[in-house]
Amino acid sequence: MSDRAGQACALTVLAPIERGRQDLLRTLLQGLPTGAESPLARAPGTHFARWVVVPQLVYQGPPQKRDELDLAYLMFTSNFDGPLEPYLDALCGPMGEAADAIWGCCIGWPGLGDPASAKAYLLRNRLATSLFVAGYPQARLPEVLRALELRERVTRFAIGAQGQGAESLALAWRQEFGGP
Amino acid sequence: MSNVEGKARAITVLSPVRPGWPLWLHGLFFAGTHLTFSLKKLQQLSFIHYARWAIVERRWPGGDRPRGKRQRYRYLLFESNFNGSWDEYIDAFSEVVPTRMRLIWGSSYGFPGPLPVEPFKAYIRKNELPIDHYYSAYPAATTTEVISALEVARAFESFIARSRGLAGADFKRSYEDFLFEVQHHL
Repeated sequence: MSDRAGQACALTVLAPIERGRQDLLRTLLQGLPTGAESPLARAPGTHFARWVVVPQLVYQGPPQKRDELDLAYLMFTSNFDGPLEPYLDALCGPMGEAADAIWGCCIGWPGLGDPASAKAYLLRNRLATSLFVAGYPQARLPEVLRALELRERVTRFAIGAQGQGAESLALAWRQEFGGP
Repeated sequence: MSNVEGKARAITVLSPVRPGWPLWLHGLFFAGTHLTFSLKKLQQLSFIHYARWAIVERRWPGGDRPRGKRQRYRYLLFESNFNGSWDEYIDAFSEVVPTRMRLIWGSSYGFPGPLPVEPFKAYIRKNELPIDHYYSAYPAATTTEVISALEVARAFESFIARSRGLAGADFKRSYEDFLFEVQHHL
Protein backbone atom coordinates (compact mmCIF):
# COMPACT_ATOMS: atom_id res chain seq x y z
CA MET A 1 0.00 0.00 0.00
CA SER A 2 1.36 3.39 -0.95
CA ASP A 3 -1.02 6.09 0.16
CA ARG A 4 1.76 8.61 0.77
CA ALA A 5 4.18 10.60 -1.36
CA GLY A 6 6.21 12.93 0.83
CA GLN A 7 3.67 14.53 3.14
CA ALA A 8 0.86 14.13 0.58
CA CYS A 9 -1.76 11.44 1.12
CA ALA A 10 -4.22 9.69 -1.17
CA LEU A 11 -7.62 8.49 0.00
CA THR A 12 -10.03 6.39 -2.07
CA VAL A 13 -13.40 5.36 -0.66
CA LEU A 14 -15.76 3.09 -2.56
CA ALA A 15 -19.21 2.74 -0.98
CA PRO A 16 -22.29 0.93 -2.35
CA ILE A 17 -25.26 3.18 -3.08
CA GLU A 18 -28.65 2.15 -1.76
CA ARG A 19 -30.85 0.73 -4.48
CA GLY A 20 -32.98 3.43 -6.09
CA ARG A 21 -30.93 6.37 -4.77
CA GLN A 22 -28.37 6.63 -7.56
CA ASP A 23 -30.22 9.34 -9.53
CA LEU A 24 -30.92 11.36 -6.40
CA LEU A 25 -27.24 11.20 -5.43
CA ARG A 26 -26.12 12.21 -8.92
CA THR A 27 -28.46 15.21 -8.88
CA LEU A 28 -27.20 16.17 -5.45
CA LEU A 29 -23.51 15.93 -6.41
CA GLN A 30 -23.93 17.76 -9.69
CA GLY A 31 -25.86 20.53 -7.93
CA LEU A 32 -23.17 21.18 -5.30
CA PRO A 33 -21.56 24.61 -5.42
CA THR A 34 -18.08 24.51 -6.90
CA GLY A 35 -14.78 26.27 -6.20
CA ALA A 36 -14.40 27.91 -2.80
CA GLU A 37 -18.06 27.15 -2.05
CA SER A 38 -17.65 23.39 -2.55
CA PRO A 39 -18.15 21.43 0.68
CA LEU A 40 -14.70 19.98 0.02
CA ALA A 41 -13.21 23.43 0.60
CA ARG A 42 -14.29 22.98 4.23
CA ALA A 43 -12.03 19.95 4.69
CA PRO A 44 -8.66 21.62 5.44
CA GLY A 45 -5.69 20.30 3.49
CA THR A 46 -7.68 19.14 0.45
CA HIS A 47 -5.71 19.89 -2.72
CA PHE A 48 -7.90 17.98 -5.21
CA ALA A 49 -10.90 15.73 -4.65
CA ARG A 50 -13.83 14.26 -6.55
CA TRP A 51 -17.00 12.22 -6.22
CA VAL A 52 -17.83 9.80 -8.99
CA VAL A 53 -20.88 7.56 -9.28
CA VAL A 54 -19.88 4.19 -10.74
CA PRO A 55 -23.17 2.93 -12.22
CA GLN A 56 -21.85 -0.24 -13.82
CA LEU A 57 -18.68 -1.91 -15.10
CA VAL A 58 -17.60 -1.54 -18.71
CA TYR A 59 -17.63 -4.68 -20.85
CA GLN A 60 -14.67 -4.86 -23.24
CA GLY A 61 -16.03 -7.66 -25.40
CA PRO A 62 -14.59 -11.19 -25.86
CA PRO A 63 -12.48 -12.80 -24.50
CA GLN A 64 -13.64 -10.94 -21.38
CA LYS A 65 -16.77 -12.39 -19.79
CA ARG A 66 -19.53 -10.08 -18.63
CA ASP A 67 -19.10 -8.80 -15.08
CA GLU A 68 -21.77 -6.69 -13.43
CA LEU A 69 -22.14 -4.82 -10.16
CA ASP A 70 -25.25 -5.61 -8.16
CA LEU A 71 -25.27 -2.05 -6.83
CA ALA A 72 -23.93 1.25 -8.12
CA TYR A 73 -21.00 2.64 -6.12
CA LEU A 74 -19.95 6.08 -4.95
CA MET A 75 -16.24 6.69 -5.39
CA PHE A 76 -14.54 9.46 -3.42
CA THR A 77 -10.91 10.29 -4.04
CA SER A 78 -8.89 12.98 -2.34
CA ASN A 79 -5.31 14.24 -2.48
CA PHE A 80 -4.61 15.96 0.80
CA ASP A 81 -2.07 16.93 3.46
CA GLY A 82 -1.35 13.95 5.66
CA PRO A 83 -1.75 12.25 8.01
CA LEU A 84 -5.05 10.49 7.41
CA GLU A 85 -6.67 10.59 10.87
CA PRO A 86 -7.12 14.38 11.19
CA TYR A 87 -8.30 14.50 7.60
CA LEU A 88 -11.02 11.96 8.32
CA ASP A 89 -12.01 14.13 11.29
CA ALA A 90 -12.34 17.06 8.89
CA LEU A 91 -14.45 15.03 6.46
CA CYS A 92 -16.70 13.97 9.29
CA GLY A 93 -16.75 17.43 10.91
CA PRO A 94 -16.59 20.67 8.93
CA MET A 95 -18.22 19.16 5.85
CA GLY A 96 -21.23 18.52 8.05
CA GLU A 97 -24.56 18.37 6.29
CA ALA A 98 -23.11 17.87 2.81
CA ALA A 99 -21.20 14.74 3.88
CA ASP A 100 -24.30 13.39 5.55
CA ALA A 101 -26.49 14.05 2.53
CA ILE A 102 -23.97 12.47 0.12
CA TRP A 103 -22.84 9.38 2.01
CA GLY A 104 -26.32 9.12 3.44
CA CYS A 105 -27.27 7.67 0.02
CA CYS A 106 -24.84 4.79 0.65
CA ILE A 107 -25.62 1.53 2.40
CA GLY A 108 -24.97 1.67 6.11
CA TRP A 109 -23.74 5.27 6.49
CA PRO A 110 -24.08 5.86 10.23
CA GLY A 111 -24.48 9.64 9.97
CA LEU A 112 -22.32 12.38 11.42
CA GLY A 113 -24.31 12.30 14.62
CA ASP A 114 -21.87 9.49 15.38
CA PRO A 115 -18.53 10.80 14.04
CA ALA A 116 -16.50 7.81 15.28
CA SER A 117 -18.74 5.41 13.36
CA ALA A 118 -18.67 7.69 10.29
CA LYS A 119 -14.85 7.63 10.34
CA ALA A 120 -14.87 3.86 10.77
CA TYR A 121 -17.24 3.61 7.79
CA LEU A 122 -14.88 5.57 5.54
CA LEU A 123 -11.95 3.42 6.67
CA ARG A 124 -13.89 0.18 6.16
CA ASN A 125 -14.75 1.16 2.60
CA ARG A 126 -11.32 2.54 1.81
CA LEU A 127 -9.32 1.24 -1.11
CA ALA A 128 -5.54 0.88 -0.77
CA THR A 129 -3.51 2.94 -3.23
CA SER A 130 -0.95 0.96 -5.19
CA LEU A 131 1.07 3.81 -6.68
CA PHE A 132 0.77 7.50 -5.81
CA VAL A 133 2.54 10.25 -7.74
CA ALA A 134 2.67 13.85 -6.52
CA GLY A 135 4.09 16.79 -8.48
CA TYR A 136 5.18 18.64 -5.30
CA PRO A 137 4.95 16.02 -2.55
CA GLN A 138 6.43 18.07 0.29
CA ALA A 139 4.22 21.15 -0.06
CA ARG A 140 1.22 21.47 2.24
CA LEU A 141 -1.82 23.38 1.07
CA PRO A 142 -1.25 26.60 3.07
CA GLU A 143 2.32 26.69 1.76
CA VAL A 144 1.11 26.28 -1.85
CA LEU A 145 -1.50 29.02 -1.48
CA ARG A 146 1.00 31.40 0.14
CA ALA A 147 3.60 30.69 -2.54
CA LEU A 148 1.15 31.29 -5.40
CA GLU A 149 0.13 34.62 -3.89
CA LEU A 150 3.76 35.62 -3.24
CA ARG A 151 4.77 34.74 -6.80
CA GLU A 152 2.09 37.08 -8.12
CA ARG A 153 3.18 39.91 -5.82
CA VAL A 154 6.85 39.49 -6.71
CA THR A 155 6.01 39.41 -10.42
CA ARG A 156 3.92 42.59 -10.13
CA PHE A 157 6.67 44.27 -8.11
CA ALA A 158 9.43 43.26 -10.52
CA ILE A 159 7.51 44.71 -13.47
CA GLY A 160 6.66 47.92 -11.62
CA ALA A 161 10.18 48.42 -10.22
CA GLN A 162 12.02 48.21 -13.52
CA GLY A 163 14.44 51.10 -14.01
CA GLN A 164 14.12 52.42 -10.46
CA GLY A 165 17.16 53.89 -8.68
CA ALA A 166 18.66 52.13 -5.66
CA GLU A 167 17.01 54.29 -3.00
CA SER A 168 13.51 54.27 -4.50
CA LEU A 169 13.79 50.53 -5.17
CA ALA A 170 14.58 49.79 -1.51
CA LEU A 171 11.75 52.09 -0.42
CA ALA A 172 9.26 50.49 -2.80
CA TRP A 173 10.31 47.00 -1.61
CA ARG A 174 9.83 47.97 2.02
CA GLN A 175 6.38 49.36 1.22
CA GLU A 176 5.34 46.18 -0.57
CA PHE A 177 7.01 43.49 1.52
CA GLY A 178 8.18 45.20 4.71
CA GLY A 179 11.73 44.38 5.74
CA PRO A 180 15.07 46.03 5.88
CA MET B 1 -21.04 16.90 -14.35
CA SER B 2 -17.57 18.33 -14.88
CA ASN B 3 -14.02 17.12 -15.06
CA VAL B 4 -12.71 20.68 -15.21
CA GLU B 5 -12.13 23.21 -12.43
CA GLY B 6 -10.30 26.27 -13.71
CA LYS B 7 -7.04 25.01 -15.22
CA ALA B 8 -7.32 21.66 -13.42
CA ARG B 9 -8.68 18.60 -15.19
CA ALA B 10 -9.61 15.24 -13.78
CA ILE B 11 -9.60 11.78 -15.29
CA THR B 12 -10.91 8.57 -13.70
CA VAL B 13 -10.46 5.25 -15.48
CA LEU B 14 -11.61 1.82 -14.31
CA SER B 15 -10.59 -1.21 -16.38
CA PRO B 16 -10.94 -5.00 -15.86
CA VAL B 17 -7.70 -6.83 -15.13
CA ARG B 18 -7.07 -10.12 -16.89
CA PRO B 19 -6.75 -13.15 -14.60
CA GLY B 20 -3.16 -13.86 -13.62
CA TRP B 21 -2.05 -10.26 -13.98
CA PRO B 22 -2.84 -8.79 -10.55
CA LEU B 23 0.34 -10.30 -9.10
CA TRP B 24 2.31 -8.63 -11.87
CA LEU B 25 0.61 -5.31 -11.12
CA HIS B 26 1.31 -5.57 -7.40
CA GLY B 27 5.00 -6.23 -8.17
CA LEU B 28 5.13 -3.40 -10.68
CA PHE B 29 3.55 -0.90 -8.30
CA PHE B 30 5.78 -2.06 -5.45
CA ALA B 31 8.80 -1.38 -7.65
CA GLY B 32 7.28 1.94 -8.72
CA THR B 33 6.90 3.01 -5.11
CA HIS B 34 10.24 1.80 -3.81
CA LEU B 35 12.57 2.33 -6.75
CA THR B 36 12.52 6.09 -7.22
CA PHE B 37 14.07 6.01 -10.70
CA SER B 38 10.96 4.24 -11.99
CA LEU B 39 8.80 7.16 -10.82
CA LYS B 40 11.08 9.85 -12.21
CA LYS B 41 9.66 9.80 -15.74
CA LEU B 42 6.12 10.14 -14.42
CA GLN B 43 7.12 13.01 -12.15
CA GLN B 44 8.79 14.65 -15.13
CA LEU B 45 5.38 14.90 -16.78
CA SER B 46 5.20 18.39 -15.36
CA PHE B 47 1.47 18.80 -15.85
CA ILE B 48 0.44 16.22 -13.23
CA HIS B 49 -0.54 17.57 -9.81
CA TYR B 50 -1.44 14.18 -8.32
CA ALA B 51 -2.13 10.76 -9.82
CA ARG B 52 -2.75 7.29 -8.44
CA TRP B 53 -3.29 3.70 -9.40
CA ALA B 54 -5.21 1.28 -7.22
CA ILE B 55 -6.42 -2.30 -7.62
CA VAL B 56 -10.03 -3.02 -6.70
CA GLU B 57 -10.10 -6.59 -5.40
CA ARG B 58 -12.84 -9.00 -6.51
CA ARG B 59 -14.80 -8.35 -3.31
CA TRP B 60 -15.80 -4.70 -3.49
CA PRO B 61 -16.34 -2.82 -0.22
CA GLY B 62 -19.75 -3.52 1.25
CA GLY B 63 -20.81 -0.36 3.08
CA ASP B 64 -21.82 -1.68 6.49
CA ARG B 65 -21.87 -5.24 5.19
CA PRO B 66 -18.68 -7.27 5.75
CA ARG B 67 -18.05 -7.38 2.00
CA GLY B 68 -19.80 -6.65 -1.27
CA LYS B 69 -20.53 -8.97 -4.17
CA ARG B 70 -17.63 -11.00 -5.51
CA GLN B 71 -16.88 -9.78 -9.04
CA ARG B 72 -15.46 -11.93 -11.79
CA TYR B 73 -12.36 -9.72 -12.20
CA ARG B 74 -10.16 -7.33 -10.31
CA TYR B 75 -10.23 -3.77 -11.62
CA LEU B 76 -7.49 -1.22 -12.18
CA LEU B 77 -8.35 2.31 -11.07
CA PHE B 78 -6.44 5.29 -12.39
CA GLU B 79 -7.18 8.83 -11.28
CA SER B 80 -5.27 11.96 -12.18
CA ASN B 81 -5.38 15.70 -11.63
CA PHE B 82 -3.55 17.57 -14.35
CA ASN B 83 -3.57 20.69 -16.47
CA GLY B 84 -3.79 20.99 -20.23
CA SER B 85 -6.26 19.29 -22.53
CA TRP B 86 -7.39 15.68 -22.28
CA ASP B 87 -5.86 14.96 -25.72
CA GLU B 88 -2.49 16.46 -24.79
CA TYR B 89 -2.47 14.38 -21.62
CA ILE B 90 -3.05 11.07 -23.37
CA ASP B 91 -0.64 12.08 -26.15
CA ALA B 92 2.07 12.63 -23.53
CA PHE B 93 1.41 9.26 -21.92
CA SER B 94 1.57 7.63 -25.30
CA GLU B 95 4.73 9.40 -26.49
CA VAL B 96 6.77 9.96 -23.30
CA VAL B 97 6.08 6.87 -21.19
CA PRO B 98 4.71 4.24 -23.62
CA THR B 99 6.57 1.36 -21.97
CA ARG B 100 5.15 2.18 -18.55
CA MET B 101 1.66 2.46 -20.03
CA ARG B 102 2.06 -0.92 -21.69
CA LEU B 103 3.38 -2.46 -18.46
CA ILE B 104 0.41 -1.13 -16.46
CA TRP B 105 -2.62 -1.17 -18.78
CA GLY B 106 -1.34 -4.19 -20.70
CA SER B 107 -2.83 -6.10 -17.76
CA SER B 108 -6.36 -4.95 -18.70
CA TYR B 109 -8.78 -6.51 -21.16
CA GLY B 110 -9.08 -4.60 -24.41
CA PHE B 111 -5.96 -2.46 -24.06
CA PRO B 112 -4.76 -1.77 -27.60
CA GLY B 113 -1.26 -0.53 -26.62
CA PRO B 114 -0.13 3.09 -26.22
CA LEU B 115 0.78 3.51 -29.88
CA PRO B 116 -0.76 4.48 -32.22
CA VAL B 117 -2.45 6.98 -29.97
CA GLU B 118 -5.99 7.02 -31.43
CA PRO B 119 -6.98 3.47 -30.36
CA PHE B 120 -5.37 4.21 -26.96
CA LYS B 121 -7.54 7.33 -26.63
CA ALA B 122 -10.64 5.39 -27.65
CA TYR B 123 -9.82 2.81 -24.96
CA ILE B 124 -9.42 5.46 -22.26
CA ARG B 125 -12.68 7.16 -23.35
CA LYS B 126 -14.54 3.87 -23.18
CA ASN B 127 -13.33 3.15 -19.65
CA GLU B 128 -13.42 6.69 -18.30
CA LEU B 129 -15.99 7.52 -15.60
CA PRO B 130 -17.80 10.87 -15.69
CA ILE B 131 -17.12 12.97 -12.60
CA ASP B 132 -20.08 14.22 -10.61
CA HIS B 133 -18.27 16.79 -8.46
CA TYR B 134 -14.69 17.99 -8.78
CA TYR B 135 -12.75 20.30 -6.47
CA SER B 136 -9.40 22.02 -6.73
CA ALA B 137 -8.05 24.29 -3.98
CA TYR B 138 -6.07 26.35 -6.51
CA PRO B 139 -7.90 26.08 -9.82
CA ALA B 140 -6.07 29.03 -11.40
CA ALA B 141 -2.65 27.36 -11.13
CA THR B 142 -0.96 24.81 -13.34
CA THR B 143 1.47 22.27 -11.87
CA THR B 144 4.39 24.24 -13.28
CA GLU B 145 3.07 27.43 -11.71
CA VAL B 146 2.80 25.73 -8.31
CA ILE B 147 6.36 24.39 -8.55
CA SER B 148 7.61 27.81 -9.70
CA ALA B 149 5.76 29.56 -6.87
CA LEU B 150 7.39 27.24 -4.33
CA GLU B 151 10.80 28.07 -5.83
CA VAL B 152 10.04 31.80 -5.64
CA ALA B 153 8.97 31.44 -2.00
CA ARG B 154 12.19 29.59 -1.15
CA ALA B 155 14.36 32.21 -2.89
CA PHE B 156 12.32 35.01 -1.33
CA GLU B 157 13.04 33.77 2.20
CA SER B 158 16.72 33.51 1.41
CA PHE B 159 16.75 37.03 -0.12
CA ILE B 160 14.96 38.48 2.91
CA ALA B 161 17.60 36.93 5.19
CA ARG B 162 20.63 38.12 3.22
CA SER B 163 19.31 41.61 2.44
CA ARG B 164 18.49 42.41 6.05
CA GLY B 165 20.22 45.67 6.96
CA LEU B 166 21.24 46.46 3.37
CA ALA B 167 20.38 49.82 1.84
CA GLY B 168 20.88 51.71 -1.40
CA ALA B 169 23.21 50.12 -3.95
CA ASP B 170 23.90 47.07 -1.76
CA PHE B 171 20.18 46.32 -1.50
CA LYS B 172 19.75 46.80 -5.24
CA ARG B 173 22.57 44.36 -6.01
CA SER B 174 21.07 41.78 -3.69
CA TYR B 175 17.60 42.34 -5.22
CA GLU B 176 19.00 41.86 -8.72
CA ASP B 177 20.63 38.60 -7.64
CA PHE B 178 17.25 37.48 -6.29
CA LEU B 179 15.50 38.44 -9.54
CA PHE B 180 18.15 36.60 -11.56
CA GLU B 181 17.54 33.51 -9.44
CA VAL B 182 13.76 33.52 -9.85
CA GLN B 183 13.35 35.05 -13.33
CA HIS B 184 12.40 31.72 -14.90
CA HIS B 185 9.75 31.17 -12.24
CA LEU B 186 7.87 34.46 -12.57
